[in-house]
Amino acid sequence: MSPHTCSVKSLHEELREKLNTGDPAHPWCRQKASEIFDLVHDVSQGQAGGDHLDSIIELAGHLTDQGPDAKCRELGQYVTGFVNRNHEEFLSHIHTHTCPTGHCPMLTPAPCQMACPAGIDVPSYVTLVGQGKYAEAISVIRRDNPFPWVCGLICTHPCEFMCVRGRMDSPIAIMDLKGFAAEKSMSARQYVNPEPLPDNGRKVCVVGAGPGGLTAAYYLALRGYRVTVIEALPVPGGMMMVGIPRYRLPREVIDREVSMIESLGVDLRLNTRFGTDATLDSLRSEGHEAFLLAIGAHGSYKLMIPGEEEFKGVLPAVPFLRRVSLGDHRMPGRRVAVVGGGNVAMDAARTSLRLGCEEVHILYRRSHDQMPAHHEEVVEAEEEGVQFSYLTIPKEIQGENGKVTGIVCVRAELSEPDESGRRRPVPVAGSEHVIPVDAVIPAIGQEVQSQGMEGFEQVDWTRRSTIRVNTVTMQTHQEGVFAVGDAVTGPATVVEAISGGKKAASAIHRYFEGIAQPTLPSVPVRRRRLAHFEAPAALKTDLQRPQMSLLGNERRRVTFQQVRLGLDDAQAHNESKRCLRCDICIRCGRCVEICRDKMGIDALCLGYLDFDNPGPTDLRITAERCIACGACATNCPTGAMQMTDQNGYRVLSLCGTVLNRLQLEYCEICGAVLGPARYHDYIMKRVRDISPEMSNRRVCLDCARSRSGGRHAEITPPRE
Amino acid sequence: MTFRQGQKVEIYRRSDDESWEDYMEEFMGMHGIITDPDTSKNDPDALIEVSLDEKGTHRLPQDCLRVIGQ
Repeated sequence: MSPHTCSVKSLHEELREKLNTGDPAHPWCRQKASEIFDLVHDVSQGQAGGDHLDSIIELAGHLTDQGPDAKCRELGQYVTGFVNRNHEEFLSHIHTHTCPTGHCPMLTPAPCQMACPAGIDVPSYVTLVGQGKYAEAISVIRRDNPFPWVCGLICTHPCEFMCVRGRMDSPIAIMDLKGFAAEKSMSARQYVNPEPLPDNGRKVCVVGAGPGGLTAAYYLALRGYRVTVIEALPVPGGMMMVGIPRYRLPREVIDREVSMIESLGVDLRLNTRFGTDATLDSLRSEGHEAFLLAIGAHGSYKLMIPGEEEFKGVLPAVPFLRRVSLGDHRMPGRRVAVVGGGNVAMDAARTSLRLGCEEVHILYRRSHDQMPAHHEEVVEAEEEGVQFSYLTIPKEIQGENGKVTGIVCVRAELSEPDESGRRRPVPVAGSEHVIPVDAVIPAIGQEVQSQGMEGFEQVDWTRRSTIRVNTVTMQTHQEGVFAVGDAVTGPATVVEAISGGKKAASAIHRYFEGIAQPTLPSVPVRRRRLAHFEAPAALKTDLQRPQMSLLGNERRRVTFQQVRLGLDDAQAHNESKRCLRCDICIRCGRCVEICRDKMGIDALCLGYLDFDNPGPTDLRITAERCIACGACATNCPTGAMQMTDQNGYRVLSLCGTVLNRLQLEYCEICGAVLGPARYHDYIMKRVRDISPEMSNRRVCLDCARSRSGGRHAEITPPRE
Repeated sequence: MTFRQGQKVEIYRRSDDESWEDYMEEFMGMHGIITDPDTSKNDPDALIEVSLDEKGTHRLPQDCLRVIGQ
């Protein structure tokens, strides 16, 4: 079996094949094999209970021990061996209701959940938000991410890039819904920790109180570990606190979520630098048996141009943002040049404006569409008055009396693509010019500062100066030492650090318990199976992604107040209803194929189903063409497409979106449901020639057969 | 190749980079979307974040990727 094949699905198919081909033939044996098949079917559908696996093994044992013939005994042995070999995968199906291969359609996570580095069950919490169950939504998120409020404000939201709704119009505002739910539940004092397991007496030390380290601390504390977190800075949160400005992420948000982690008994020691204030030996002597390095990437790349080291007023973005976050609100200069085009450059520029700088320039050596910064960040910076100079390469920093007075730049143009397809900025001869500034803030990249880590002698470092780990377990080359976050990935995202922290907590637990470590990355787990909302196709189509209110521009330029003001209740609830519920519909496209190719109707215009080549989608067109035959619903592997009779109407819906609603007709003779007129006409068109009895009459098949049979009874068969 | 956020890519070959791990062999041939091209600069050497269709989000070296659509 290939590693891509689901063992549950594989056994399910094998048993089905055997039963269909009359193997085994003995009735008693077939009965037992059918019972095993039913149990395996339950596992593959997410309907299995805790006893299912034992029952399968027991039934297989009966076949082996009591089988009346060799084939029967062989089948029992085979099933027993198969289940034992794939025990963990069966258990995973039963306990997590997740099929990592996607072969069990009912258990396949949605693309948004798969895209989330932390694997949050997005469809479930989006649905809970729509139901107004904010605290439940937060508890679903915190199964995978202890910082829902932080991530609800600043996550890079890769989930939204994969959101299937984005193939129709625009993706669901997943991040905003998370922030909304967190604020609501925190405000209502319903944001609570789950009950931790009893203290197991084992001690773990986390070096660094950033998102990765604190996430690991949270999940370890929930498992009963005693966790100490040491942090060199005077505040917890790492880059969340000292790298992200307050107008994007208020300090109170971080404080509240960190305090939730502390309240689990995590010992947070601030102003404690590893290597000086605490050493490996001192921490070991306190009883710490495992270590997690989460030291972040707090160093800055240099511009490597003349004048950089010479003049006062050159302040790299990371220490600049840290300084401001820690309360130093002196402006770096009257006129500031920020060099770089990433999110850190945007943060530094917008922070400078808020500190009172009169002119803030962003100098970027490439073009606008090549900027790595997020689009919203660039737009908001432009709105606030940051001046952008694209295709501009800094050449030298000028100064007088030891202070920066300007930055010499050259204009650039993009070269023809080289052999790798990359267009490089090439300086334009004679384009040298000086931008007069008092301060230069390089924001061209960050690096890990490894000073102090010498104590971990066997920890290996990569050529990128990051800690080398097995990224499945976050284990370093030194036994009992793990690492996560930017120290491993290089400067990356908060949610990636959180993902690493969760993986590391699991791996540290396995390390202590002597459990084998996984060899493949863990797959997101579906936490809930919630019913969908019902909505007419027109409403589902017309609902638009909400536009979040922003703080007024004047105030943005002078204060650090939060810019994005959040969604209101109606916006959040409507946005939740826009979700296509891809945890239910797996976009296999069978419904479209059946309708178009088998029935010849082509009523389903669902171009969004195709990931690589999405076509047009029109949910409303189904009502014009659909005959409500039900072929799509019958062939849907997950029950996403449903056809039901309600109050005299036949209703076709896809994950609650009502695609068609037709009035039912009834048999003129017996009153049985015939289906809608369109369906009846479709059938009549095909049977008119062979069954004239039904022509132009609303008669069910049974009555038509009986009347037709009555007429045929009068015909005398020819004598031989 | 310059990768930008939102581009569709294919993992078309094994990377020569040291960050390539054994389990990544399973990603060969898969399609995904660039979610974070790199963090602060256009660096051909940076690991970039790719959301793979039904396989999750991973940081991968750039030499194993090629753009398949916009």
